[in-house]
Amino acid sequence: MSLVEAPPAIGAGIDRVDGARKTAGAAAYPSDFDVHGQAHAALLQSTVAAGRITAIDTAEAEAAPGVLTVITHRNTPRLPDGPATDIGTSPPAPLQDERILHHGQHVAVVVAETREQAVAATRLIKVTYDASEPVTRFDDPRAERVDDPWGMDSERGAVEEALASADVKVSATYTTPDNTNNPLGLFATLAVWDRNTLTVHDTTQWPTMARATLAKVFDVPESAVRVLAPYVGGAFGSGLRVWQHVILTVLAARMTGRPVKLVLTRPQMFTSVGHRPSGVQHITIGAKRSGELVAIDHRSTSSVAMEDDDFEPLAASSAVAYACPSVITRDGQVRLNISNPTSMRAPAEGQGNFALESAFDELAHTLGIDPLELRLRNYAERHPVSGMPWSSKALRECYEAGAERFGWSRRDPAPRSMRDGDELIGYGMAGVGYPWYAVPCRARATVNADGSAFVRSAATDIGTGTYTVMTQVSADVLGIALDRVRFDLGDSDMPPSPQAGGSGLTGALATAVRDACLGVVRRVLDLVSEDAGSPLRGCALEDVIVGNGRIHRRDRPDEGESYADILTRHGRQEMTVDGASAPGDPSALGMAFAGAFGAKFVEVRVDADLGVIRVARVVSAIDGGRILNEKTARSQIIGGTVGGIGQALFEETVTDARTGRIANATFGDYLIPVNADVADLDVLFVGEPDRATPLGTKGVGEIGLVGVAAAIANAVHHATGIRIRSLPITLDELL
Amino acid sequence: MAKALSRPRRTQVVGDTPMELSVNGRPYKLYLDARVTLLDALRDHMGLTGTKKGCDQGACGACTVHVNGRRVLSCLTLAAQCDDQEVTTIEGLAGAEGPHPLQESFVRHDGFQCGFCTPGQIMSAVALIQEGRAGSDDDVREYMSGNLCRCGAYANIVAAIREVASADGASAGRTSADGASAGSASAARAPRGGTDASL
Repeated sequence: MSLVEAPPAIGAGIDRVDGARKTAGAAAYPSDFDVHGQAHAALLQSTVAAGRITAIDTAEAEAAPGVLTVITHRNTPRLPDGPATDIGTSPPAPLQDERILHHGQHVAVVVAETREQAVAATRLIKVTYDASEPVTRFDDPRAERVDDPWGMDSERGAVEEALASADVKVSATYTTPDNTNNPLGLFATLAVWDRNTLTVHDTTQWPTMARATLAKVFDVPESAVRVLAPYVGGAFGSGLRVWQHVILTVLAARMTGRPVKLVLTRPQMFTSVGHRPSGVQHITIGAKRSGELVAIDHRSTSSVAMEDDDFEPLAASSAVAYACPSVITRDGQVRLNISNPTSMRAPAEGQGNFALESAFDELAHTLGIDPLELRLRNYAERHPVSGMPWSSKALRECYEAGAERFGWSRRDPAPRSMRDGDELIGYGMAGVGYPWYAVPCRARATVNADGSAFVRSAATDIGTGTYTVMTQVSADVLGIALDRVRFDLGDSDMPPSPQAGGSGLTGALATAVRDACLGVVRRVLDLVSEDAGSPLRGCALEDVIVGNGRIHRRDRPDEGESYADILTRHGRQEMTVDGASAPGDPSALGMAFAGAFGAKFVEVRVDADLGVIRVARVVSAIDGGRILNEKTARSQIIGGTVGGIGQALFEETVTDARTGRIANATFGDYLIPVNADVADLDVLFVGEPDRATPLGTKGVGEIGLVGVAAAIANAVHHATGIRIRSLPITLDELL
Repeated sequence: MAKALSRPRRTQVVGDTPMELSVNGRPYKLYLDARVTLLDALRDHMGLTGTKKGCDQGACGACTVHVNGRRVLSCLTLAAQCDDQEVTTIEGLAGAEGPHPLQESFVRHDGFQCGFCTPGQIMSAVALIQEGRAGSDDDVREYMSGNLCRCGAYANIVAAIREVASADGASAGRTSADGASAGSASAARAPRGGTDASL
């Protein structure tokens, strides 16, 4: 139900409420916090990728100026692993034994009075290794293979028979490299023990989970732990776990009796906080001459660390991408001596879509059917597995509106047919369906006696705009002006929130915020239920509307009262109510819950002589359900698109196969898009509010990235006639 | 040319190299290790954490500040080099009348997301306009390519800078990058232009 009077704050492209703070340098990120008396920690990391430590001499380091302690596996207490969550296990506890499982593994922590002293002392530690030959390649016969790690393998129809009878078949192998999340903010932890109470400033996307993890690992009640992350300098998935360096910082503070601060270095960011794992995908698609699909066979393998886990079912989404009678998806992993992968913006989807939508382009080319038309001929009007109608799906509108805006009809289908001087022009496109994800969430709303509102939840705003859109939702549901509403987050003492991840936070949190705010209205109406003079006496929620800090009768809108008047009359300083949200049940609602959909259209220009590839423009047409803030939602899409350009053309974490060492662990060597790499980005939002949630939202934090790599690869093929099935696409492959 | 920096705002003694810096118009007298960078001096010894450390290797631009009006990477600049120099950080950009126009246009155009690179982006942008290098979108893209933004707000950053540059008119004199092929993929592999590595 909507209580709100026009004009609503929801949907309006208002400026970020934290914008002034961020542009003034006044937003405090985890590395910006200092406390009196703090010591500094620095990490020493393994220089071999496999084997064991046979000796570790810390005497010289311990005697160095300012050093308080040196922590190694020899003096680290046995620590339990953190609790598992619905997105996987906690990383293994650090420094528990002498074994080395990857290059860059933490082997010691120095705590000293200053950061410089701590770093200098790490260089005085002498570690002797008994090194063994690391397993670093998928095809190493020693590599352990894990089949169907997540129980998501799927099969329908009769794929083998269908492929045998197909008029046309395409079959190819696609590879994607390790990518590193590389948020600009270096991960930082500041741990302060006060007796058995722990306060931690930490780079996390999930304070509620970080609190639970630290409580379990250090055997204190959750109520004794507070995790703070009011601002996070990006994360893109790397803040979804409590990594070993966080545990070590808290441990160092406990062992020294001092507050301890640790800031990772940029090279350490490559081995300490996860990355997108490399993958190999085999796809076979069979179709009739008409373009009608008969079968899809999609199998993937990703890399994972020796003793950890990661969620990367690259092929799984191919089961629901198209109307196709026979589909098989298989996902597996191989264990390597690498630092553990983790979610990186659009995990699994970013890689899987590259393979599927590249293969689709190959099929279109083989059939002589326009790639867009081929997708429309196989459009999944209903959920291909459950057969249920979607809670919302405007992918067709994405295709149509995007093609119109892009000028897709001007595309000459023949490769190398479009040219501008020395530049070969290529048009490419890809379709995207992002998985639906929802988790329980709580929020708390307060309306004060002065008529202002304060709403909060232990969520994070990693740049997505959570502060802003939740202020908008709160303002509209309460009917209080935006500048009288404060939404706060980033504190585990607030009601528990899920992670900023999986494109699931906005839906879960907005619904909880709405529930809490409606609860306040309901309780305020309870207050006046006996007030003889109140025009709202006897009114239930459905009898009222809100606006301008007041509650009005729906049947007589000129009659009402302000929150301030009601609360003051009743001697209340405030009214506070908690709200909650929980994922719906698709079968109960008779709908297949939909995530966002999108279509990507890309123009590339390739220098005919030099092979230099330039993305000239990208049109993103997105069905994100109800858009809460046009400005911040657009930013999510253009930001994802830039991430996709990086995935397609620049990003590759290079590991030396012999030593297991990452060879390009700096911003000078690991290339991400710079301003000059990003030209014209156009974003269109289409579609309707989703039917499965009260506010009709669908997350848009990740879909912007998905499809970019395939659309660029397809455009490069159109420009040059060369099909690149391995990312990143670099100019040497086009010469 | 030594300035009279009387009544230092704060004296910090953690080393034996004396230095007097004017930061955002305020005098600081510091005794630091001679090896302390300007970035660490600002963040650790002056309490000015608006300037960010994104790599400490001169590759990301998050630590960009002005020294005597020129943009520098403070992680590659020694604090001792700034003895008697005028340093301006993001905290010193606003005037008595309110935020700098670029601070406002970055908000209006949503020229950031997580906000971590933003102080460096804005400090570069202020200098860019003063240098007359913001005359076209392609110029801005090229000369802002030393400031990485992992959230991918580049398009909005360009719009924010162009709005102020156009209103300012100061960049009217120059209309194209110095022979650089703006927008080319090769720009990512070339030395990232625009910001001096040191004084």
